[in-house]
Formats: sequence, C-alpha cells, structure tokens
Amino acid sequence: MKISMAEEEAAAVHGNGDSDEKVLEFLDSLEGYLTLMESLASTLRQGWFELASARHSMGVSRVSSASLDLKDHLASTYLEMTQHEFDESIMRQPQFSLRKWASFENGICSSGEEKPDSPQLRQRCPSQISENQEDLSKSDGSHTTVDDLVKKERSKSLSVFGTLVSPKLRAAQASFETALDILVEVANLRSSMLSARNQVQRGIEETRK
Amino acid sequence: MYGFEALTFNIHGGYLEAIVRGHRAGLLTAADYNNLCQCETLDDIKMHLSATEYGPYLQNEPSPLHTTTVVEKCTLKLVDEYKSMLCQATEPLSTFLEYITYGHMIDNVVLIVTGTLHERDVQELLEKCHPLGMFDSIATLAVAQNMRELYRLVLVDTPLAPYFSECITSEDLDDMNIEIMRNTLYKAYLEDFYRFCQKLGGATAEIMSDLLAFEADRRAVNITINSIGTELTRDDRRKLYSNFGLLYPYGHEELAVSEDIDQVRAVMEKYPPYQSIFSKLSYGESQMLDKAFYEEEVKRLCLAFEQQFHYAVFFAYMRLREQEIRNLMWISECVAQNQKSRVHDSVVFIF
Repeated sequence: MKISMAEEEAAAVHGNGDSDEKVLEFLDSLEGYLTLMESLASTLRQGWFELASARHSMGVSRVSSASLDLKDHLASTYLEMTQHEFDESIMRQPQFSLRKWASFENGICSSGEEKPDSPQLRQRCPSQISENQEDLSKSDGSHTTVDDLVKKERSKSLSVFGTLVSPKLRAAQASFETALDILVEVANLRSSMLSARNQVQRGIEETRK
Repeated sequence: MYGFEALTFNIHGGYLEAIVRGHRAGLLTAADYNNLCQCETLDDIKMHLSATEYGPYLQNEPSPLHTTTVVEKCTLKLVDEYKSMLCQATEPLSTFLEYITYGHMIDNVVLIVTGTLHERDVQELLEKCHPLGMFDSIATLAVAQNMRELYRLVLVDTPLAPYFSECITSEDLDDMNIEIMRNTLYKAYLEDFYRFCQKLGGATAEIMSDLLAFEADRRAVNITINSIGTELTRDDRRKLYSNFGLLYPYGHEELAVSEDIDQVRAVMEKYPPYQSIFSKLSYGESQMLDKAFYEEEVKRLCLAFEQQFHYAVFFAYMRLREQEIRNLMWISECVAQNQKSRVHDSVVFIF
C-alpha cells in the first residue's frame, strides 16, 4: 500500500465531507496496520529469543526439530473466516477470528459424530461449540473450567519437549500465541483498510464523473 | 589414606592429570568472549574461533554457518579429547571417566524413545544424539513399546541397566512416563556416581561429593520449578529428588510442597550457599536463575584445579568445556537473531 497513492487520493477528493471522512478512515486503518506490524515483529523477535533461552536452559537435544510430533493429531487452533456484505454492491469485507485451543472441544464431541473427511482437521459450527462449552461447564458437578482445560491444552502442546519444561519455553509459547492473535488482527485491519481504500477510490471516480 | 595420594597417584594418573591441566589452559578467556560478543555475523565468530583450539574443527565449514553447526563442531573437539584420555586411562580412572558420560547416555535414550513415539525417523534421531552418550545398540531402542521391553531388549547390556530397577513397568511409554523415567534414571545415576566417588576416597571423594551434591540440589530446584502448574503430584515430585545433597532430606520436603517460585526461594534461602544465588534475583523472577546456578557451578569447578592428585579435575574439565560450548551457543544465537544487547544474559565467564 503506497502512502503516496493515499495522499494523491486524499488531495483529489478534498472539499467533499464524506470523502474526507473515508480518507481519514483509510489513513487511521493504515496507521493501525503499521503499528500492529511493528508490534508483531517485536513479539515474534521476543518469542524466538525466549525459544533460544529455553534451548540454552534445557539443552540442545531437548528443544530441537527432532522433538516435534509427526503423528496425525487434531489442530489445536483454527481460523474462521466470514464474509460480510458491506453494502448492496459486490463489496465484501472478510473477517477473521481465531478459535484457540479448540482441540479439547473437538475431543469432547467426537464420540457421537461421524468421522470427518480429513483426519487432521475438523470443522465445527460456532453454535455447536458454544453448546459444548455450556455442557462442559455444567457437567457432573466437576470443578473443571474452560480455563483449566485451555491450560491443560497448552501443557499438552508443549509435552513434545517433555512434561517438565523450563518456564522460558512456556514464555516462548505465550509470545507466539500473542503473535498469532496479532496476525489475525492485522488480517482484519488489512481487510477494513482495503475496503476503506476501495470506497475512497469509488468516491474519486464518482467525483470525476 | 587421605593426604598420601602424592606418593602413588602419579604412577597411573600423573600423565593424564598433566594432560587435562594442559587442556584447561585452552579454555576461552574473558578477552575471547568480549571479542566474540562484538561479532556481527556467525562468520565473524568462526573467524575469531579460528585463532583458538576450535579453529581446526570449524575451518572447513561452509558459509552461511548455523548455530547448530558451531555447537556440533565444538562438541566434537570435546569428544576427541575425552576419547584420547579414556583410551590411556587405567582403572579406576577409566571407570570414573565413563561415569561422566552416563548423563548423556540417559539423554540419548530418552531422545530416541520420545522421537520414536512421535514417529520420527531413527536415523534423524541418531544424528541429534550427543556423541558422548552413544552405545552400540542404541538404534534398537526404537522397537520397544514399554519400559520392560526397553530394559530387556537393549538396556540390560548397557551401563544404565542397574538404574532401571526403580522404573520398570509394563505401562506403555507416553510423555509423562518418559519424563519420570528420565528423572528417575538420572537420580539413580547421580547416587551411583556419588557412591563410587566415596569408595575411591581421598581428595577425589571430598571434591566430587561437593560437586555432585551441588548437581543434585540444582536438579531438585529445576524439577520443582518446571513442575509447578503441571500434573506431577507432590509425591511423584519428591521421588525424583536425589537422596543426597545439602537439601536432603528437609529441604526436599519443603520443595515438594512449593507451588511458586517465591516459595522455592524461601526454602533455598535457609541454606547459606544458596542464599547468595537467590539474592541476585528479584522476587517472582526465575529468568536469571539458570545463569546464577551456572556461575556458582563454574566457581566450584575452577576450585577443583587448586588441588592435585585427584580425579575431580577430569570431571571439572568436562563440565567447564560443556559450559564453554553453552556460552558459544548463546553468543551465536544472539548474533544470529541480532540481539547482541542480551548476550550477557547467559554468558558465564570461566576465567
């Protein structure tokens, strides 16, 4: 996205109040996008550094690519994409959301269901997931909460490196998790930025007509 | 009889003690580390190391260099020195030198078993094993389904066999069982090494008791901190602590029930040698604990060279070289990730 193009477009529609608003919206999105990208770079850098610290602490043989699990297993996190009709025209703004640590939900509901086509990923409807979460919290008077299960899933994903891992490895996991959240925010912001840019361009074309 | 080693030690151990003291003189100094910390790329590190004893091991490595390559080649140098000393050692020094490698053997066994559980290729796993911990039938570990088979098929003919008596079960191997197996084996190994050194007597027993007790205590602290918030029960945690060391038995009882780093700190501060370690950390922080422990270990290992006519110099040299390799790995990672401002977070100067 070129800043010079944004400035040119901004100049072209100067004087039109609605257009100004759209331009400002676009520039705000652009600023948010650049800030998020910087935050993402910093978080990833921190994550890689913590991973190196964990290797230093636990030993090279314990934290290496040889530890990763090649068996088929359920995805612990998946990305949902929805398309929103922005207005009557064919402009659609995709929205992304992350379902983190969803493998425990899949595990609970897997017993009565048909086997999915892909053994590695299961696609679930959001309404089914929220029903399952309610069932989970009410089940059998158990004290297990969703937070406890998420914590368990986090430990399970780290268990490829052993069950007694250094706090530095857990910190690296938290950093990469944050980076994933930021990535989804970046995708959403980029989507709204592209939408705002398209509106500004349409405004320019209409003005020229 | 303690104090009379000077009369007889040099007959069988004098030459190798001189050799190991010569090797010690080749350890990197603070000036070397300062030069290395100012490098911009891994090729600069290679250039600086070419003027040290690591030079011949790195000179033929092509660019771009990777941190794993630096660690691998530096480890090869240590392995060559160790094998050269082992082949010239007589009993009981040869047994003592072999004991030093059993820890690596345990790590290799766990690596192969874990990797097989995760459906990794055995050849790939063998390449990641530590060369000091290799033994002939190591590749056969991949066929075992439980600990009983692990013992019966492979480990019964290795030096680790006596350490398996406490953890033989027919349960299938999974991540938790493997972790408990690792720590149980290491506990049995440390206790056996401690008993062997006590049997040797003299300065070896005195100095090695201190070094192994420190190792046992450090392991207890690490197991405690790493198991906080996990499914490991207090009883299981208690069983993984060694039955010797400054913390045995009362410190272990308190560590077993600790639920956070501050409680661990409260336990350790009751012991004067560890008070100085924890005084360097702020409350609630555990990031610099590793470095504090390594610094204390290096101090004790260097003191082992102040006395003559004992075997602890061999153990101290091997551990100091391993610390040096850890330092080089850390410096390489910081340079590769452009985090030179953090390089002093984990480098421990030896001299």
